[in-house]
Amino acid sequence: MNAVLNSLKPGENASKFASRVAAVLVIGLALSFASDVFFTQANLLNIFRQASLLFLMASGLTLVVLAAGIDLSIGANVALSACLAGSVIKATGSPLEGAVVALACGTAIGVINGVLVALLRMPSFIATYGMMWLINGLTYYYMAGSTIYGFPHGFRQLGSGYLFAIPVPVYLMLLFLGLAALFTSRTIYGQQVYAIGSNPVSARFSGIPIKRRLVLVYALSGLMAGLASLVFLARLNSAEGDIGAPLTLPAIAAVLIGGTSLFGGVGTPFGTLIGALLLTLVLNGLNLLNIDANWQPFVTGAIIIIAVLVDSVSRQRQEARA
Amino acid sequence: MHNVQALPQTRPWTATVGRIPGVAYMMVVIVVLFSSLNRQFLDGANLINIGSQGSILLLLALPMTFVILTEGIDVSAGAVAAASSVALGCVMQAGGHTWLGIVAAIGVGTLFGLFNGTLIAWLRLPPFVVTLGTMGMAQGLALIFSNGQSITDIGTVIPALYGGKVLGIPAPLIFAIVAYALNHLLLYRSRFGIYARAIGGNPEALRFAGVSAKAWLISIYAFAGAMFGIGAILLTARMSTAHPTASLGMEFDAIAAVVVGGTSFEKGNGGLPGTLLGVLTIGMLRNGLNLVGVPSSVQVSCVGVLVLLALLIEGWKTK
Amino acid sequence: MNVHPNVPNLVALRSAVPFERSGVQPEDSSINIAAGGTLGKSAAQPPLLELRGIAKQFPGVRALDGVTFEVRAGEVHMLLGENGAGKSTLMKVMSGVYKADEGAFFHQGEQVRIDSPKDAQALGIAVIYQEFSLVPYLDIAQNIFIGREFAGRFPGTVDNARAHQEAKKVLGLLGFEQDTHTPVHKLGVAQQQMVEIAKALSQNARILVMDEPTAPLSERETENLFRVIRMLQAEGVAIVYISHRMSEVFALGDRITVLRDGRMVGATRPADATPADLVRMMVGRDVDLTYPRRFCETPGVPGLVLRNVSSPSGIRDVNIEVRAGEIVGLAGLVGSGRSEVARAAFGIDPVSSGEVEVFGKRRRGEPDQSVKLGMALIPESRKQEGLAVTRSVGDNLMLSGLAKMFPGGWFRPGVARNFGRKMVADLRIATPTLGRRTAFLSGGNQQKIVIGKWLATGARLFIFDEPTRGIDVGAKSEIFALIAKLVEEGAAVLLISSELPEIVHVCDRAYVMREGRVAGHLTREQLSEENLLSLGMHDA
Repeated sequence: MNAVLNSLKPGENASKFASRVAAVLVIGLALSFASDVFFTQANLLNIFRQASLLFLMASGLTLVVLAAGIDLSIGANVALSACLAGSVIKATGSPLEGAVVALACGTAIGVINGVLVALLRMPSFIATYGMMWLINGLTYYYMAGSTIYGFPHGFRQLGSGYLFAIPVPVYLMLLFLGLAALFTSRTIYGQQVYAIGSNPVSARFSGIPIKRRLVLVYALSGLMAGLASLVFLARLNSAEGDIGAPLTLPAIAAVLIGGTSLFGGVGTPFGTLIGALLLTLVLNGLNLLNIDANWQPFVTGAIIIIAVLVDSVSRQRQEARA
Repeated sequence: MHNVQALPQTRPWTATVGRIPGVAYMMVVIVVLFSSLNRQFLDGANLINIGSQGSILLLLALPMTFVILTEGIDVSAGAVAAASSVALGCVMQAGGHTWLGIVAAIGVGTLFGLFNGTLIAWLRLPPFVVTLGTMGMAQGLALIFSNGQSITDIGTVIPALYGGKVLGIPAPLIFAIVAYALNHLLLYRSRFGIYARAIGGNPEALRFAGVSAKAWLISIYAFAGAMFGIGAILLTARMSTAHPTASLGMEFDAIAAVVVGGTSFEKGNGGLPGTLLGVLTIGMLRNGLNLVGVPSSVQVSCVGVLVLLALLIEGWKTK
Repeated sequence: MNVHPNVPNLVALRSAVPFERSGVQPEDSSINIAAGGTLGKSAAQPPLLELRGIAKQFPGVRALDGVTFEVRAGEVHMLLGENGAGKSTLMKVMSGVYKADEGAFFHQGEQVRIDSPKDAQALGIAVIYQEFSLVPYLDIAQNIFIGREFAGRFPGTVDNARAHQEAKKVLGLLGFEQDTHTPVHKLGVAQQQMVEIAKALSQNARILVMDEPTAPLSERETENLFRVIRMLQAEGVAIVYISHRMSEVFALGDRITVLRDGRMVGATRPADATPADLVRMMVGRDVDLTYPRRFCETPGVPGLVLRNVSSPSGIRDVNIEVRAGEIVGLAGLVGSGRSEVARAAFGIDPVSSGEVEVFGKRRRGEPDQSVKLGMALIPESRKQEGLAVTRSVGDNLMLSGLAKMFPGGWFRPGVARNFGRKMVADLRIATPTLGRRTAFLSGGNQQKIVIGKWLATGARLFIFDEPTRGIDVGAKSEIFALIAKLVEEGAAVLLISSELPEIVHVCDRAYVMREGRVAGHLTREQLSEENLLSLGMHDA
């Protein structure tokens, strides 16, 4: 608990943080006026469920971005892990075995990314971009165009169920939040990741093992994608080749909106949670206001650009003050 | 002691080996492999097919070479082409003149290019994120203005741009030749190309020479956008419909062609012949895989492998 | 005579006789200069370029402060100064890349403005930077004429053929035979330098600024460069030559100006000064000579041993030993390889041959291994290498000690905070809170943080690289007190410093570096500024 509270400690980022929470409230307020449906229990729970799913993916990505990297392959990672896990569950009837497969697959992809970036010194965006397409292809190959569906009821609760009237994914979101916050604020590895993101040169001069930590964050990002894939699988109750496609952009948007800087060293998992909430609210609002669903990619893209702009401007202002 | 060498140098013993671009080896391997797997591969008709389909990719990959030379990237190519295609379709559907449609397509592409360029060059935001955002925006606009449907009512002139022949040469090849000639002029005989390499290789050189790197970088992205628009026209011609999602993902092939062709993300290294070979290699790879019955989505993986291979070779060469 | 701006003023240069054919000396009056410039050093003419009271401010630092400087046609004017003295800022102001905040420029007596690179070009000022301003994958001709391309027949095209023609001509003047189609990245460093000079000449440069031009060159290449410089001198070209190689300063220079901390502290001629004088001008600061110390009577075990260490960074066959309880100095002129020794020892730079031992254990690999063995490096560049300036004081203090203080991997902020508070108190770091961003602290306090972060690791071997540069007097003596305390408690310290009084008064003994090798070793009794200087210079 302390860890989470600690990672909430905004310090001098208080104003940035507060402004985001304020944005959530403002948008929420506006939407409740604009649409009768917004403030209903069903809709709110739906929002939280959606935001949770988004956060599950974005949490691992946050760690990578903190180290001044990027992982464009998480969407594809989720897809492959989900498909592999899905077919295992169908074949063996055991959700546990499926879970192991998903985690293994996710982590393996993460480790490969880490090796490409840290050991082979490839720029992270091109390495993970190439991996994204590679994994997408593998997924399609594996699925051969078919769809897996119909999973055990118990397993499906993971994604679609309720516990004490709250969607299960929300609990998972809090769990992920706790784990991520624990990593960033209560492990030395998290502290070192912040250092690497802020100034990789001085991190090296200070004796931080940069390569090992980079592989670690990419592996963690992959692991969390693997975990997320299980929840997606449970929620959708099906798996097919292209479920990963629409996931990457919103995940990146959530991380950026949440205040994590692409340049590294700044941001928290809780910020990403707020970011995920904000994005989901906006997209939900578009839905409720009966705006064409086709606007969603546009809005997501625009939000990403705005978020990067804000990040860059605030960074330049900080550097000028130094 | 000083930071003696600011510029990359290749290892001497790889001189002969390294001078032959890796893509040439890949091409040979692919040709040998697929011609042995399927006799149709080296058929005249098939080769023309490869060429025609490859011309669309060439239209995207040629300007992408410039962008990558500046150490940038444009992942919005496919989405911008989609938006351009939809713009063309809308104009045609509304009964507009073919020329108006063409102008619309190129115009949309150029606008997105200007948008990208301004954010990247002027506001100095990282290229891949900016173009990632633009990709979403362009994708969205394409879907919105087409209502998610393909537009089939595009008249008869446009499809002729793909199916027609001039002096026995298929129209798309004409496009390809003209585009290559234009890009060649720009890269090797104009300041456009010189400054593109300078922006990627040593932007300080431009600064010391009093040249505005920003303005030139914006025009490079704008040029790329315009070319994406032209590629969209050709694609629309080929499919005889303006489709909002058909070109999504083409940016990966375009980037792959450039990278496989030897243009690296460092220091302004690379050129158009390599990109041409890259386009041919990828075109042949996909065609060959098609003939062998490998689904399109898996073909992408193979392209991905090629890219990673090319990056590794590049990294090894300049270590 | 109307000449195309891109084409060098060949009329003037045509009458020059190639150096090696006739052994022309600059004083040879048979050289006829047709246009522009007078011969050599006649003091009657106004200087070609004069700077008066130039100041340049960057956030937090006054890089140039009231600099007055002048250059005369045909002279080689040496510009000396330590790293950070302001030489490169001065160069950039002269060439229009930076705009001066205060001061005025005069060209042959008339006031002018230099607000952009084009202005400087118009005045005939060209700079050859240390890190060349060449584009690697463009060819020689393209690089020479970058920004000034010849227009081709069709609008928008460039005339490549003409560019190659003109490039050949300029290269020919320099005696440089090379296919102008060669991409510049394929050239050796000396050749790239020739291209840079050609670039400057093609701009009709009358004032050439060269930044440590011989640093990457072999002896033969250096001779060739000197030949070119003398040829240019004969043409009336003025050369501002930045160097710290005393041999060159005295061999080539007509006049010498010394910069320190952004100010001009001395102007003299080679005939009127000794190398020792120059070094003192470069380095002398207000120095507090009361260093509190007891010298080491009984040194302990060897803490750091370098055995025949060589590194691609340029150091060769370095043998150094630092024992527990000692402060061993590492002196030498700027560029002699001192920092390179530190970096090789610590693992930042690779060691191509030889061994490094830390308290008897072989040191290999990346710096994290060095830290495990008990090593600490306080680097030369505080802000880039020592700290993460965007982060807080508390975070920076924990940069190195995380693994040591929290062996299980679990980080406890409370413990970290306590350590932070202890360091702030013990080291007297002036900061209102632990959370303050390090960028806002003064140089001295920043340095204390760099030192403090190592105290968490239990390090017993400390390498300090210019620890007191850019720090006020008060903080300086605090830092030395700290270093003294460390060795009293049994640590081994290697102290790299340009300030000779520091080395003489603080160190038990000292090694002196010269051109990448250890030139000598001085014991306590032999330690004096004169001895340090003489060992450090090429021939003194």
